Amino acid sequence: MSELRSIAVLDLYRTRPKNWPVRISVGFMFALMGIAWLAGDFFTADTFAQSRQANVERFLHELLPFPLHNVDFDWAVAARWGWEILEDKGFEALYTTFLISVAAIVLASVVGALLTIPAARNIATDQPFGLYHGSPSVVSRLLWKIVFVVTRGVLILLRSIPEYVWAFLLLALLGPTVWSIVLALALHNAGILGKLSAEVTEDLPPAPLRALHALGASRAHVSVMAVLPVAFPRFLLFFFYRWETCVREATVLGMLGIASLGFWIQEARTRNFYDEMIFLVLLGVILIIVGDVFSSLARRWLRRLS
Amino acid sequence: MRDDRLNIGRRRWILAAVLAAGFASIYALDLQWSQLLPNAGGIHTAGQFFARALSPALNYESAVPQHTTPLLIKALAAAWQTILFAAAALSLALVGGAVLGFFASTALWLPAGAHEPSSGRPLGAALLGVVHTLIRLLITLMRSVHELLWAVLFLAAFGLSQMGAVIALALPCAGILAKIFAELVDEAPSEAAYALRAAGASRLQVFCFALLPCAMPDILAYVLYRFECLLRTSAVLGFFGFPTLGLYIAAAFENLHYGELWSYLYTLLILIVIADWWSGLLRRELLR
Repeated sequence: MSELRSIAVLDLYRTRPKNWPVRISVGFMFALMGIAWLAGDFFTADTFAQSRQANVERFLHELLPFPLHNVDFDWAVAARWGWEILEDKGFEALYTTFLISVAAIVLASVVGALLTIPAARNIATDQPFGLYHGSPSVVSRLLWKIVFVVTRGVLILLRSIPEYVWAFLLLALLGPTVWSIVLALALHNAGILGKLSAEVTEDLPPAPLRALHALGASRAHVSVMAVLPVAFPRFLLFFFYRWETCVREATVLGMLGIASLGFWIQEARTRNFYDEMIFLVLLGVILIIVGDVFSSLARRWLRRLS
Repeated sequence: MRDDRLNIGRRRWILAAVLAAGFASIYALDLQWSQLLPNAGGIHTAGQFFARALSPALNYESAVPQHTTPLLIKALAAAWQTILFAAAALSLALVGGAVLGFFASTALWLPAGAHEPSSGRPLGAALLGVVHTLIRLLITLMRSVHELLWAVLFLAAFGLSQMGAVIALALPCAGILAKIFAELVDEAPSEAAYALRAAGASRLQVFCFALLPCAMPDILAYVLYRFECLLRTSAVLGFFGFPTLGLYIAAAFENLHYGELWSYLYTLLILIVIADWWSGLLRRELLR
């Protein structure tokens, strides 16, 4: 009996569904991780050398707020020290970081929304929404194909270049204005939002779009009057998801020299004020957690409206 | 994602609020539209920069000593280093994410089935609850500090150490993976879990043989997406002096070698596009 059962189990095991692309990819990924540790130069001999250890000890010692060095710990002194940093630069940096993220995500979603229409397969074609438009003309099919491929190409280009690289390039072109950071974030996120919303648009139930189009609505009409209402909740989800990332990145992009949080973190580091640096990093953590909470509250509020 | 219903009637107010927030931010940041036009120097730089977009350099733009590695090989080597940093970080993040995610999921300390009497050991349950909360806090802290900030912290503590860079990449990634692991395991269909539990399996067995296999396709798809993100950040780490693509991008820009800059940018672009295509393909394959 038990033998029979084990044969049945073995049979089940042997005939379980196998997906070769997935298996090959997983194997490849594991191989890559193994090779990384063998081929990478991560274990330099001096990782744990004496000088490094001394450096780490000094670093840990200097994480303590400066007025508290060599005296007993006193919360009042620590609080006064923290408040001074906050008044001096902290509040302003937080405010600027927040504003940069909002400006960037709104610009990104406007650009992304505009690019969605020529990037969606069901709109950017000579036979939109699966409706018969008479015998297809070669020229118009070719033109739509070009529009589609170019838009998708632009979206790939926009989202493939990391924000940091965009900001680095824009800073050189525009000079040190906040625009370079806002635009860097906006360009990268426009690429992501455009791709995501084009995919949502392609997956929409086709009937309402087709019906409107059959009644004579143009592609633009259908986009505004049918695609936007039906896909709006999904678009909003993406908007908040990318906004969270924008808050994160806006903190860091300051390291390129614009007065957001990252700028002061970098500045504290170059002056070796590690206590101040860690304080500002923790401020960033608070900003990000507040952003996350706000975004999830907003999403819940939007859902409850129904 | 599960509940998409939304009051459509309020959509215009939401749109208006979003646009108003955008304009208010632009106003408060004191951004002028005129600043968008680069100044004379900027236009000159931009002209030189974009002139090379279609003719990236195939050789070094300035004289180099003999026997220097050819430019394209160097670009490929930088791309390879970028991949190595990302893969090493992913291996650490996978281990960390799996361990933390296991403790952050509720599968271990909530009754697996509706008919299960609550555990007879309240002390043990309370202890597990405390561990759970602490782990969740740790995860939030890990992923709330950006990779590059971790890198800066490690740079300050250890100096330029490649291991530090890998750990900086791995920490936030492990935090995110742990969060996603826990959520996916908690949301996995529970029928199999109930069945195993009723047949007498322990909670650990239920976790390993019912919940985990159900959540596996989603987890795999997400891990690959994270690898793509790691590649991007790994490239950016070069700006801090590690031998990934960012280092060469920054160097080429500072030397005004715009042709070389485009070669490196295109290498990065191709790398990311391949990763993007691969993870997209697998996601479709897994979530079918």
